[in-house]
Amino acid sequence: MSVILNALVDLGYILIFPGFLFCFLCGMLLCGIERKIVARMQKRVGPPILQPLYDFFKLCGKETIVPTVANKTVYLAAPIVGLAALVVIQLFIPVFNFTAFAGNADIIVVLYLLLIPALAEIFGAAATGSPFAGVGLSREMVTIISCELPLVLVFLAVGKAVGNAIGSGVVFSLQTIAAYQAENGCLLFKASMIPAAIAFLLTIPGETGMHPFDAAEAETEICEGMLAEYSGKPLAVYKLSHAVKLLTLTSLFVALFLGGLGTGILLVDGLITFFFCVVVIICVVALIDASTARLKIEQLFKYYWTVVSGLAAISLILAWFGL
Amino acid sequence: MDFPFVKQAISQLFSKPSCDMYPFVPIEAAPNYRGRIAYDPNKCIGCGMCVRVCAGKAITLTRTPAEGGENITLTFDLGSCTFCNTCADFCNDNAITLTTDYHMIATKEEDLIVTGTHFKEKKKPAPKPAAAKPAAPAAAATPVKAAASDAPKAEAAPAAEAAPAPAVQPRDDGKPVNDPSKCIYCTLCAKKCPQEAITVDRKAKTWELNADDCVGCGTCQTACPKDAIIM
Amino acid sequence: MFKKTIIESTGKSPWLFHINAGSCNGCDIEIVSVLTPRYDAERVGFKLVGSPRHADIAVVSGPVTKQSLPRVLRTLEQIPEPRCIVTCGSCPQSGNVFRDSYSVCGPLSKYVHVDVDIAGCTPKPEAIMDGLLLAAQILAEKKKTGNQEATLPNPYAPEKTAEEAKPAEEKTEEKGEA
Repeated sequence: MSVILNALVDLGYILIFPGFLFCFLCGMLLCGIERKIVARMQKRVGPPILQPLYDFFKLCGKETIVPTVANKTVYLAAPIVGLAALVVIQLFIPVFNFTAFAGNADIIVVLYLLLIPALAEIFGAAATGSPFAGVGLSREMVTIISCELPLVLVFLAVGKAVGNAIGSGVVFSLQTIAAYQAENGCLLFKASMIPAAIAFLLTIPGETGMHPFDAAEAETEICEGMLAEYSGKPLAVYKLSHAVKLLTLTSLFVALFLGGLGTGILLVDGLITFFFCVVVIICVVALIDASTARLKIEQLFKYYWTVVSGLAAISLILAWFGL
Repeated sequence: MDFPFVKQAISQLFSKPSCDMYPFVPIEAAPNYRGRIAYDPNKCIGCGMCVRVCAGKAITLTRTPAEGGENITLTFDLGSCTFCNTCADFCNDNAITLTTDYHMIATKEEDLIVTGTHFKEKKKPAPKPAAAKPAAPAAAATPVKAAASDAPKAEAAPAAEAAPAPAVQPRDDGKPVNDPSKCIYCTLCAKKCPQEAITVDRKAKTWELNADDCVGCGTCQTACPKDAIIM
Repeated sequence: MFKKTIIESTGKSPWLFHINAGSCNGCDIEIVSVLTPRYDAERVGFKLVGSPRHADIAVVSGPVTKQSLPRVLRTLEQIPEPRCIVTCGSCPQSGNVFRDSYSVCGPLSKYVHVDVDIAGCTPKPEAIMDGLLLAAQILAEKKKTGNQEATLPNPYAPEKTAEEAKPAEEKTEEKGEA
C-alpha cells in the first residue's frame, strides 16, 4: 500500500509540483516577464505577460514539417529529451527545506543534467542536416564549454564554503546547502561568495542563449541556428524548454545563494522562490538582455574563461582559506 | 566587457513607453500625407493628362459610346500607385485629390480600385465638328499666314497691349485659339496636349486645332510661354 | 478545449518572416520600423523570425524579379500551415513603376494565393499594422476552418464594398454558430 502511495507521491512530484506543470507555468510566466521587462527597458510597451503561452499553443497547432534528409527519430525525440532533463533538474532543486529527490551528490547530477538539453538540441540540429543548424550547433558546443568552467567553479566554491562551515570537505548536496542557509542566513551575504554569485548570474544568459551570448541562435545571421528546420510541435517543446531552463537556472541561483528564507509551508515557499526568480530575472537577465548586443563566439569564449571564471575562482580561493 | 546602456535601460524602465498604441488609438496622418486617391467624376473633363503622367501606369481611361455622347470612366489602381501626386498636380480641374486616408488594405483586388464615370455630352455630335472642321483650321491658318509676314514688322509692342482682343476672338465653346502675333511656334502646346489635338508645324508656321478631339482642359494655355493661346 | 485555445493563440502570436523580392528597400525599412519602440508590434504578439519554418505570416516586398521568383516560391512553400501571405507595398501587387520590365515576373498573385495586400509606396507603418492584424485574424480563421483559402471581410474596404461585405460577415457568423 505504502509503495503505491509513495509511487503516487513521486508521480505527483514529477508531474505537478516541482515537476512538469510547475515548470510549464512558471517557466512561461518568467519568460513572459522577461520579455515584458526587456521591452520596457527599450521604451516599448512589450507583449502581454502570457505571450509565451500564446506562442506555445500556436506552435502546437501548426503543421510539423520533417525534412526529408532528417533522421526522424532523433529529430523528434531531441526536444522531449531536453525538456525531460530540465524537469528532472527541477526535482533536485530544494524549495526552502523541501526537496523532491535528495541525494548526497546532487550538484554533480544537476551539472550533468544541465548539459543534456543543450546536447539534445545539438543532436536534433545535427539530425536535420541543415547547414544553418550545423553552424549553430558548433557555436552551441563552444557556448556549453565556455559556461561549464565557471559553473563548476561556482559549485565548488559554494560547496567548499558550506563544507568549511559544517566541518566536512566539499559539500555536493543541495539539501545540505539549503539547510545550512536556513540556519546561518543566505550565502549571498557572505563576502567570499559575492564573486561566485556574480559569476553564476553572468552564466545564466549564456546557458539560456540570451543576449549577448546568443551567437548559437542568431536569428538574423544563421536563421535561428539549431532551430532553423524545426516547426510546429517540436519547436513548441523547444520554446518551452528554453523557458524552463530560465526557471531552472534562476531557481538554482536562489537555492545556492538566496536559500533559507521560508515558512515551511510548501506553497508559500514555492511562491517565495518564484518571487526571487523574478527579481533575479528583472535585475540581471533582462537588464543584460536589453542593454547589450550579440558577441562573436570567440569573444564569448574569452569572456567566460577569463572574467567569469576569474570571479568564480576568486570565490573558490577565498572559500578555501575559510573566509 | 562593459555595459554602456545599462543606465539608459534602467531609466527607461521607470519612464513612460514611447509607443503609439495604434490599433486601439486611431492616428491621423500628417496634413499633407498622400494616401487614398479621391476622384470626382463630375469635375473631370476626360483630358487624359493623368494617364499620361502616371509613372506606375495605375490610371486607365475608357470611353464607351453612349446616346448623345460618351461615358468616360477613369480607374485608379492603388495597387500600382506610387502616390506621387503628379496626377493631381497635372489635373486642370482638380478632379483628383490625394486624401490622408492611409488604410489601404485589400483582401481582394476590388478593394484598391478607385473609379468614377461621367457622361460627356457631345454638342451636336458628329455633324457640327465636321462642318466646323474645315472652317476652324482655315480661320486659324489664314491669320497665320498673315502673321508670318506681319509679326516681324516691329508691330509687336502695340499689338501686345491693344491688338490681342481684336486680332483673335475667343471661341464660344471654351476651346483654345492661337494668337499668331504672339505665337513663336515652339510646339510646346502640341506636346503638352493630352488629346494630341493641336498640330504645330514649325517650318510652315501653322497652328491647327482639332476641335473634335479637344476637351478644353487649358493645358496648352498654361504651357504657352508667350501667352499666345486664348480660351 | 485545447482546440479553442490554439485557435485563439494563433491570432495572438503571429510570427513574421520578411522576404525581399527585389524591393527598393523602402518597404523593408518600414516593416522594421513597425517593430521599433514607436509602433512596437510586439505588444500585439508580432515577432520577426529568422527561419521560414517558424513563420506564420510571410511579408513579401518588391516586384518579384526573375532572379528572386524561384527562391520566393520555395521559401513560401516552406512555411508550415496555416500560413498567410501578405504583400507589402504596391510592387508585389502590380510591379508598380517596374511593371513590364524584362526582369520583373509580374504580380505575386499570379503564382500564389495572396491573403492581404497592403497598398502604398511605401505604406505607412500604421497601414502595415492594419494589414498584419487582419492577416493574423485570417490566420486564426484558417486554423478554425482548416481552409487555406479562407478569408475575412475587409474592414478597410471602400464604403461601397463595405456595405456589400456586411451581409457576408453576418453569414459567416451564422455559419460559425451552426
